[in-house]
Amino acid sequence: MSRQPGDSAYAGVTLRPGRCVAAVIRDATVLPLPRVSRAATRPAGAEEVLGAIAGAAYGYIQAVTIDLSRLLLEAVLHPAGAGQVAVIRIVPRAARDPRLARSPAKLVERLVGRRFTVAGGHDLLGNELCPLDTAGLARVCAHLQRAGVRGVAIVAPGSQAQPEHERAVADAVQAALPDAHISAATDFGGQGLVAREATVILDCALGAIAGRLLNVWEDAIRRSGSDAALRVARGDGGYITPSRARALPALTLGATDALELCGAAYLHGAQECRVVLPRPGGNVSGDVRNGLAVVRPAELAGIGTALVVPTAVLAPDPGVSQNGERRWVRDVPVVHADGDPDLLACVGAAVSQPTAWIDEVAFIESAEHLERIRREAEERVSAIVMANGAAPGTAYLTEASIVAVPYSPAGTVRIRVRVAGAAEGGLGRAASAHSPQAAEPVAP
Amino acid sequence: MNSTAAGPGYIGMVSSIGAEDVLTLYEGAKFYSPAVGDANKASLTSWLTGLLDRNGPVALRRADALPVDTPCISLCVLGSGAALADLPPAGDEFALAVQRIERLQQLTFGAIYPLAAATVSALAPVAAASQLGLPLLDADGMGRTFALIHHTAMHLAGVSPTPLVAYGATGESVLIDAQSASRGTRLLGATVDPLGGWAALAAYPTTAGVLRRAALPGTVSRLVNVGRLLLERTDPDLLVARLAAITGCHRVGRGRIVEFEQLSRPTDRTIPAHPSSLVIEESGERGRQFRIELRSEIVAVFADGLLVAGVPDVLCLLDVSRGEVATLDSLEVGDLVDVLVTPADGLWYSAEGLAMVGLASHGINLDHPRRR
Repeated sequence: MSRQPGDSAYAGVTLRPGRCVAAVIRDATVLPLPRVSRAATRPAGAEEVLGAIAGAAYGYIQAVTIDLSRLLLEAVLHPAGAGQVAVIRIVPRAARDPRLARSPAKLVERLVGRRFTVAGGHDLLGNELCPLDTAGLARVCAHLQRAGVRGVAIVAPGSQAQPEHERAVADAVQAALPDAHISAATDFGGQGLVAREATVILDCALGAIAGRLLNVWEDAIRRSGSDAALRVARGDGGYITPSRARALPALTLGATDALELCGAAYLHGAQECRVVLPRPGGNVSGDVRNGLAVVRPAELAGIGTALVVPTAVLAPDPGVSQNGERRWVRDVPVVHADGDPDLLACVGAAVSQPTAWIDEVAFIESAEHLERIRREAEERVSAIVMANGAAPGTAYLTEASIVAVPYSPAGTVRIRVRVAGAAEGGLGRAASAHSPQAAEPVAP
Repeated sequence: MNSTAAGPGYIGMVSSIGAEDVLTLYEGAKFYSPAVGDANKASLTSWLTGLLDRNGPVALRRADALPVDTPCISLCVLGSGAALADLPPAGDEFALAVQRIERLQQLTFGAIYPLAAATVSALAPVAAASQLGLPLLDADGMGRTFALIHHTAMHLAGVSPTPLVAYGATGESVLIDAQSASRGTRLLGATVDPLGGWAALAAYPTTAGVLRRAALPGTVSRLVNVGRLLLERTDPDLLVARLAAITGCHRVGRGRIVEFEQLSRPTDRTIPAHPSSLVIEESGERGRQFRIELRSEIVAVFADGLLVAGVPDVLCLLDVSRGEVATLDSLEVGDLVDVLVTPADGLWYSAEGLAMVGLASHGINLDHPRRR
């Protein structure tokens, strides 16, 4: 079969320790490719996979979306060297209890070599609680310099609303350690200092390996002569550009679960469904709405603490009752994903869309003010989705929730907005996923 | 289960709380107030587990098991759980708040009790009891959470909440000695935000003898028992049936959230959080529309315009897909939820109880369904 004008093919690749699985979707047909047992973390492995993709796509491929999340999780579970990250927690005063001074997740804490507290911080709405201790910060920077630290994670309360202290600390650290990888919590937003701290620790620890993997795949695509775009699957089942993944590798954590949900839904032609996924410990299930996995910022399986990057919500599946009736959820179709889970993840990656999400706290004084805050949030997340790879004008709202924050001053709201888009020159799945009834365009 | 059931709300009494009980306590506390999300769950439960591991279990005692003149002090988290998650405790705030009142009153407390045995306010008194080496009373002032600190059984029994201390994670504290409970609440309201949006509150210093008649008994034990059920993560239909057996709850209906509305009623700024609403389309043949009125907690449930439940009922949403209590700051359009109604302590349905915490206190001037 020769390629016709307008044909497009997309590839999804899931990287596992010691193996790699890929699939191509060409003209809405899924073409599974033979497993590559060679590690696709090295140039030869990546080239072999790309060769197989090119063959299945008859030489033309629009985009290759790679799922790094299992490899990155493996790097967290079995770090090459413990204690790579220095953490600077900016709070009015240091924790007095050892359990509160560190991450509740042992896996995360194992990545930490040094911890420092610098006085400072803001409240949820950005009001300063304590001036930044610049003298203390200078002492910390001198210590980091002497120790030759390569990665620094920075977190402060209220930095989602007022990043001033985090940025001042990041600037000082960068001046002292020009080559260090710095992860600041303000770049992720989200709720909860401990969850935000765990996210930046992981981000910092994964920076080097994510960079190496992306170099391998970018070089391999370049050498192959293909003009395919390289994309990186993110935790919510969407994708981001390689440059965003380099800058914020924690965004890619947990992608596989969401990709499996989306892959199963795609194969069954369902935009709204509940997907049952087989797991060694029993079936789990998750939801797909508007063709996207339902996600939350929650505890990532195996990590031991909540993160602020949204990932698929999976729960033990209840199965059917004795009379064969589906339990719990009966108002949407149920898809049983009984195929190869790696292949499902590849399909999910191939059909993924650029996505973005924000999770903020704001203060409203009137219905008009609320509307303005909502519109501004949508515009911000629309700009982020374009940075993540969406073409201008393609962004559309997939979820928006504004809820009052209990026991906060009247007018305090939590705003969560999720936006998806489509890539330049190729719609991927966006055209079918985006129905005007289901999703609302967002101003670019 | 070794139960000494004596009607809804009374189940097997627990004699101590150890490290192995922390997660069950957390889940049970969420059932009686789903206001606080789980962003700080791992950290708070790790802190408390560590304390109980190091110091041993905290003894849980009925007020009538202590000498009548035993000085007791209540503790809770004052303010927003979201603020607490963003500015976690240093760990000494609750014990320092207690000790400040001890210095003022020149006495040593012999027991701690929760001001509100629900949400994170159920965990903090256990932590402080462990740190101070004191027993915890199996009693509290609300049996759930209400918006203001004088909305307590102690207040209705004539116990003053003051002197009280609010101790912030900033290391700053405020001592309030007011002329009346409502003045104390008002003065305290101005204190929370500068302390970072939450504070450790020590209040209602009194004696075990007074608390025998002025506090709600058994309200800590039941958290552990309810938490055990919730952690089983079973079929929600079965879970609701089991919860009903020990709490008296019932399901009003099941449906998907279709809409949120903010500032949906006039705002009375003396109560935290503005009024908001959510709309749920019931699944199945009945297809009713539920309107849920919120104000830090769920305050009323309407089905096709008819009031079917309201404060002081304990109202919560069970996330059907995940089989767990849904916290109010994490709800999203599309979520499938069960609307659960649990009777509160009988005290709250009395004329004076309803006058203080009933529907009218939230601007809903309708008779409570249990009084029709």
